Amino acid sequence: MAGVFVYSDKSGIALELVGCAKAAGKEAMVIVFSQEAAEEVKNSGADRVFILQGDNEVPENYAQAVADFLKEKSAELFLVGATARGRDLAARVAGYLDCPMASDVSAISFGDGKVTTERMIYGGAVTQKEELTGLSVVTVAGGKYAPIEGSAEVETVTVTPDNRVQLVERAPVERKGVNLQAADRVVCVGMGVEKEEDMQMIRDLAAVLNAEIGCTRGIAEEKHWLPPEQYIGISGAVIKPQLCVSIGISGQVQHTIGIRDSKVIVAVNNNEKAPIFKTCDYGIVGDLYEVVPLLIEELKK
Amino acid sequence: MSESEKFDAIIVGAGPAGAACAYTLAREGKEVLVIERGDTPGSKNVTGGRIYTYALEMLDQGLSEEAALERKVTREQVMLLGGQRAITIDFHDPSFNRDGHPPMSYTVLRAPFDEWLAGKAEEMGAMVACGIRVDGLIEKDGKITGVIAGEDEMYADVVVAADGVNSLLAQKAGLIGEIDFNTVGVGVKEVIELPASTIEERFRLTNPEEGVACMILGCTEGIHGGGFLYTNKESISLGCVFMPGEVARHKKSIQEIFQDLKMHPAVYPLIAGGETVEYSGHLVGEAGYRGIPKQIYREGFVMIGDAAGFVINTGYSVRGMDLAILSGIAAARAIVNASSPAEIGPLYMQELERIQLLPTMRATDGYFDVLQTGWLYDRMPALATAVMADLYSVDAQPPAKLSRGIREQMKAHGISVWDVIKLGFKGVKI
Amino acid sequence: MSKIVACYKWVLDESDIRINSDLSVDFSKAKGKISDYDRNAIEAAVKLAEAVGAKPVGLTFGSSKARQSLKDALSRGLEEAFWVKAEEAENADGAVTARALAAGIKAMGDVALVICAEGASDTYARQTASRIGALLDLPVVTSVLRVTVEGNTVTAVRKLDDCLETVKFELPGVISVLPEAFQPTIPGLKAVMAAGKKPVTEYDCGSLGVNLVSARKVMEVKAYAQERRNIIIEGDNAAAKVAAVVSNLKKEGVL
Ligand SMILES: Cc1cc2nc3c(=O)[nH]c(=O)nc-3n(C[C@H](O)[C@H](O)[C@H](O)COP(=O)(O)OP(=O)(O)OC[C@H]3O[C@@H](n4cnc5c(N)ncnc54)[C@H](O)[C@@H]3O)c2cc1C
Ligand SMILES: Cc1cc2nc3c(=O)[nH]c(=O)nc-3n(C[C@H](O)[C@H](O)[C@H](O)COP(=O)(O)OP(=O)(O)OC[C@H]3O[C@@H](n4cnc5c(N)ncnc54)[C@H](O)[C@@H]3O)c2cc1C
Ligand SMILES: Nc1ncnc2c1ncn2[C@@H]1O[C@H](COP(=O)(O)O)[C@@H](O)[C@H]1O
Repeated sequence: MAGVFVYSDKSGIALELVGCAKAAGKEAMVIVFSQEAAEEVKNSGADRVFILQGDNEVPENYAQAVADFLKEKSAELFLVGATARGRDLAARVAGYLDCPMASDVSAISFGDGKVTTERMIYGGAVTQKEELTGLSVVTVAGGKYAPIEGSAEVETVTVTPDNRVQLVERAPVERKGVNLQAADRVVCVGMGVEKEEDMQMIRDLAAVLNAEIGCTRGIAEEKHWLPPEQYIGISGAVIKPQLCVSIGISGQVQHTIGIRDSKVIVAVNNNEKAPIFKTCDYGIVGDLYEVVPLLIEELKK
Repeated sequence: MSESEKFDAIIVGAGPAGAACAYTLAREGKEVLVIERGDTPGSKNVTGGRIYTYALEMLDQGLSEEAALERKVTREQVMLLGGQRAITIDFHDPSFNRDGHPPMSYTVLRAPFDEWLAGKAEEMGAMVACGIRVDGLIEKDGKITGVIAGEDEMYADVVVAADGVNSLLAQKAGLIGEIDFNTVGVGVKEVIELPASTIEERFRLTNPEEGVACMILGCTEGIHGGGFLYTNKESISLGCVFMPGEVARHKKSIQEIFQDLKMHPAVYPLIAGGETVEYSGHLVGEAGYRGIPKQIYREGFVMIGDAAGFVINTGYSVRGMDLAILSGIAAARAIVNASSPAEIGPLYMQELERIQLLPTMRATDGYFDVLQTGWLYDRMPALATAVMADLYSVDAQPPAKLSRGIREQMKAHGISVWDVIKLGFKGVKI
Repeated sequence: MSKIVACYKWVLDESDIRINSDLSVDFSKAKGKISDYDRNAIEAAVKLAEAVGAKPVGLTFGSSKARQSLKDALSRGLEEAFWVKAEEAENADGAVTARALAAGIKAMGDVALVICAEGASDTYARQTASRIGALLDLPVVTSVLRVTVEGNTVTAVRKLDDCLETVKFELPGVISVLPEAFQPTIPGLKAVMAAGKKPVTEYDCGSLGVNLVSARKVMEVKAYAQERRNIIIEGDNAAAKVAAVVSNLKKEGVL
């Protein structure tokens, strides 16, 4: 059974990936690890859904089993949703198969016994087109392909997972539900802000602009002043608002990759040599503590 | 290395002075530690861009051939700017670049050069620790015995301050005071990338080995100072040096004046289409011999290179790197020859004479007075270009008598014959 | 003494990359550096080794240019560096990289824990840790935010898209740590000096039997072009600049 085998721990992405494979005229099979997950994908328009049944709650622990299964089925491609779990499972499968893998691709096209992919390297400064020959693994982030519909036959295969890594506890993390991707205006804030109290000023600016707030990785992951889903960049969110106002952000490419689809970018930074000034439309060289209050005042007019 | 172990010398700063000193000491079998605050030697260092090879050859024969240098200088230029006008004097002397001899001077970029020279010192056995800033000195019984960097202390028979102009270590050692803004200039500089072939075309160079060194007068809005331009392999170093005290009183900022220079009709075509890949600013000693601190050593401590004020600015050329290297060699010789740490300082002074560094600086002392002449920086280039304009203007009128024309232009530019005589007098003393 | 291995990569600094007008990429001026997040992995190895009395070592798969990385890595607290050397490393894909690193780990022997960073700053493929684990058939835990080792048991908190997941496994194993988990320290003078004297072991890919052939081919490398106006607003004071920006934004119709 050649064809594309799809997996994502987020069933929504699995549906999209099936859509991707089918649109390319490929046979698409979905791999899941539980009955519940099978339910969520059985109307994906896939040709088959396989439940790899074992007694382990961590999907990544099925890597060896998935690798064996793909080999047995003569799969041509393992297409995986690029989530933290998905990347891990995908790479472990690639490791067991010792086969090529392209991570987080922005485009994929199918050839004869080959896939061609495009992905960002150097933080987003460069794109690289690659050709993978033979059974390969590719991860793709959600939101790129349209799902289709159609019911699929579900088949259960009993496998032996790797029980060496044991789950102790799982604590869900609430998502605040800020929809940065859909926002028309975003105020982006970086490590130029000195204290958590000063974030109030940023919130005030966002309020007069009627904007959402985004940030750089450090603000979310080191300072914890904003939740992780609000940081923007290669490892965070990608936004495409009409207006992006960047405050106290140096503008390294890993971050700016996430704002570069904005229509207009304004940057405030006190260092005239900050790379953000090469990525913006309008730049103000100045102290954010002086500029932001003035901006708020001016916008209120 | 065990905590108690001690170096023969700790050198602070891996510029040309520090690296040359380390190279010489290590070659003589001394245990040397070089501490450099940059992540790599030269990463943040600024120079105009020309080094005289004799100093490298003195460090070790043949060194200038393998050094990371740009183009040998085959053409010396002076550019006088007056308003939109410009005069360029272009001097060529084949004897500066004779076959079988190292060319007299090369253009140079510091990042690769400093890294190369520090690498040579390392090859000789010196230990180079980068990314470390020395914060202070350790003193015991009136002697300097080591350095402090962050949490760490390190000991040596002698600490060599090669930390550049406005030396922190020299201040800590009490040998210099706060910076005197009448004796230093502020330099700004851009490195502008252009294809090698474009550089050769624009400067009429016949091959990628040849280069131009150009000093520019009349580009500083009357502030003491001047511009410089050097052609590198695939870039042009363009910069300006100003006396900071005067800048403070001036209405335009340094950046603005420098921007005007870049846009000058005589300069812009040389750099047009190039990409600025580096912008930097740095201090440069301007006082020549008089800028050398009264005392440049203490027991356990010597100052070399810019830290000791060894820079000569003659107006038509700047020499700091060669003197930095010479002083590094001199200090190393003193350290090697001294039988006790107390002897190092006095021996160092002797070596500075022997190596002709102090004599050279004395010989060029008069330039400082000449260069104090305010009108050199605006009225003189303006006058010269105006006279040229008169000379070359042809219309239906009979031309004015040349000598009268010049006198009138001098008057118009506020330069009296007496001014010129005074300047000539200062010049004669050089 | 068993080893805790930090895998680090010597990469080109992305901020030195030049983009030509035809969107081709000029890497010739780019300097090398230890991949940003790999400094966090090194810190993790040093800290964990200190906690359990193991020996922290570094492992890199790199071309001859990677020699420059050794002193830097060793100054960060590692006690020994292992270098799997091959010129092919410069453009190696995840498969080849993992093979080389796995071979290095086998060759050095007595490895308790392998630590990778979240992703390398050039490829940011985020696959190497998982691949090494698979090749050596060791337990793997990625996206680690917190980790403790007690006896032979590793307990790790993973930060995933929608949960924090605590897992445990018995050594030996492979983990990848998030950059937020360990802040690298800036090495001091003694550490930098000591680095030059620490042992370095070079492995040759041939003698380790590493297969350097990859089924991935790079077809094209192209710069991402960004068309921005880059207008720096000039003005006598901040208020004037702010007013100018706001009026421009109004003209653009984005306010
Ligand atoms: C593999 C990898 C992936 C990454 N992924 C991401 C990602 O997805 N998202 C992300 O954001 N980063 C990411 N990074 C990190 C990224 O490289 C940068 O380090 C980060 O974006 C810098 O954040 P910053 O601009 O807030 O902080 P800094 O770089 O510290 O910049 C702060 C800026 O504020 C300015 N400033 C300071 N004070 C003031 C003031 N008073 N007024 C005005 N300006 C001031 C400073 O001049 C400076 O430019 C990644 C890095 C790597 C290696
Ligand atoms: C604009 C300009 C143009 C010039 N043009 C020329 C020219 O064309 N030709 C010429 O010969 N000379 C020129 N000079 C002068 C020349 O650059 C200097 O004289 C020369 O660099 C002096 O070398 P040095 O080794 O003494 O000091 P530097 O080159 O300044 O090196 C000092 C080193 O010490 C390090 N350091 C400083 N403090 C510490 C610390 N606390 N801890 C650790 N490390 C430290 C620095 O990082 C640096 O690497 C010019 C200078 C300027 C500014
Ligand atoms: N060539 C290499 N040498 C050593 N470690 C590497 C190498 N490539 C990747 N790694 C490690 O694997 C991590 C993830 O890399 P990547 O999968 O390429 O994003 C890096 O952060 C390093 O810790």
